[in-house]
Amino acid sequence: MELSGQIFSWVYQYFDNMAFLLLAASGLILIYGMMGVINMAHGEIMMIGAYIAASAFHAGAPAPVAIVAAGVGAGLAGVVLERLVIRHFYNQLLSSLVVTWGLSLIISQAALLILGPSIMNMPTPFGSFSVGGFSFGVYRMVLFAVAVALIVAVWALFRFTAFGIAARAAMENPRMAAALGVDTKRIYTLTFAIGCALGGIAGGMFAQTATISPFFGQNYTPMAFITVVMGGSANAILGLIYAALYLAGVQTVASNVFNPYVGYVSIMASALIALLVMPAGISDFIQRRRARAMER
Amino acid sequence: MAAAAQLSLSSVKSGYGRVKVIDDVSLTVATGEIVAVIGRNGVGKTTLMKTVIGAVPALSGAITFRGVDVTRLDATRRARLGVGYVPQGREVFARMTVAENLALGMRVGDAGRTNLDRVFGFFPILAKRLSQQAGSMSGGEQQQLAIGRILAGRPDVILLDEPSEGVQPNIVQEIGRIIRRLQAEEKLTVLIVEQNLALIRAVADRCLIMDKGRVVAEIAPQELDDPETAARHLSI
Ligand SMILES: Nc1ncnc2c1ncn2[C@@H]1O[C@H](COP(=O)(O)OP(=O)(O)OP(=O)(O)O)[C@@H](O)[C@H]1O
Ligand SMILES: [Mg+2]
Repeated sequence: MELSGQIFSWVYQYFDNMAFLLLAASGLILIYGMMGVINMAHGEIMMIGAYIAASAFHAGAPAPVAIVAAGVGAGLAGVVLERLVIRHFYNQLLSSLVVTWGLSLIISQAALLILGPSIMNMPTPFGSFSVGGFSFGVYRMVLFAVAVALIVAVWALFRFTAFGIAARAAMENPRMAAALGVDTKRIYTLTFAIGCALGGIAGGMFAQTATISPFFGQNYTPMAFITVVMGGSANAILGLIYAALYLAGVQTVASNVFNPYVGYVSIMASALIALLVMPAGISDFIQRRRARAMER
Repeated sequence: MAAAAQLSLSSVKSGYGRVKVIDDVSLTVATGEIVAVIGRNGVGKTTLMKTVIGAVPALSGAITFRGVDVTRLDATRRARLGVGYVPQGREVFARMTVAENLALGMRVGDAGRTNLDRVFGFFPILAKRLSQQAGSMSGGEQQQLAIGRILAGRPDVILLDEPSEGVQPNIVQEIGRIIRRLQAEEKLTVLIVEQNLALIRAVADRCLIMDKGRVVAEIAPQELDDPETAARHLSI
């Protein structure tokens, strides 16, 4: 075991941890940033995606197709959820937390009833490579690349397309957007669906690293939640990136110096500390500082 | 007035929750006509405009646009029928660029690029500031953007709520000229709320006087040349 391997191992873990946070939280933070709702059932949306991906895969679909199917299926589930429930709780953070938490219980219990406690699996593709005597899975780096690609795609969608411009207008001033002919309700439904589709894709990706059960979502919701709260809603995408960079760093160091459990707990602790300094999240904090710097 | 009614309200009442603000307003604006609504602060002029565009629901009465009853349609549908709104306080999307604000205005129209060139002809400053954040523009510039944004969608009727507020006199004059030109060239129909005597005199065909949620009188714009009449009806 060489030093180069040891160093690479830390870097690898850092990217692996970041991929986890970015994938688990991207859909959640999109919905929070655009509509002021934190969807505690996001993990269950991921679980739906994971089941869809695994079922499609075992029915013979290639893994990439299975993952796209997971995104589409989760997006459709998002449309239903938004129409029936979420729509009534926009910009009511506390109510939305309680209601979506209830939804998460209902969805996971329903999955348990329908699918039973049995678990499903998907193989992890791509094998491994070794550096300095350590072995590393290739797929973890694919996760990171996919996370980055998804975030860039979402950014471009909201930055450049007619839909994105209308969505940002609806977020900034819904009444004025409506007065310009923007169908704000449709925008909200679509945005929520896109957030869920991201969750579905993430679920499909993680289906290849973890066992799938009705309670699959519980592995992801807490971390995603912390990342989102830390990122803040002022600039969702930047907030997500900053929060992931920071939290993954803390986790990597803590789990190597101590152990993975300490690494996990350290995420909660470091988020708590960061929120004391930046109560509205990192993106809000940075925007304020920039505004202040401009005034000078 | 032989021309068809472009916009008409009959016995419209509206307000916020239990607070009734608009109390039985009826009015008609003919195609290509410019009607000013004047009245002191808080009499309900802005609420009237919001009721017409659908941002505040009518509690009773009827609003028709080119003969179509829009009373039960939401603001989005009304905008798509060709009703443009420039609110008091401008309400440009501050965190978006000038180009994006204009793109939003163009959504309802279908004339595309030529529309935008026309807007730049009216407000040349917008063409030079396309990538500027709208929120960082001056008040007068934002007002030009708010009007340009609406014109980009080629509405048939526009509602202007105090477009002169916080705008320097030569730009106010320019706005007046543009409104007149659109009226002459496109038969644009305008309902304008104003306190600025010069602008009212420059554009209005008729003046409706509002008090406590009602239209209480109608006068010819020339009558405002009498300082006493002006002082009675405008909050200056
Ligand atoms: N969102 C609201 N909720 C409750 N009351 C409101 C609301 N907006 C306006 N009002 C009230 O309705 C009344 C009319 O307000 P409105 O803004 O229509 O007046 P205005 O004639 O446009 O006044 P100004 O000349 O100052 O612009 C006022 O008493 C105001 O306090
Ligand atoms: Mg007003």
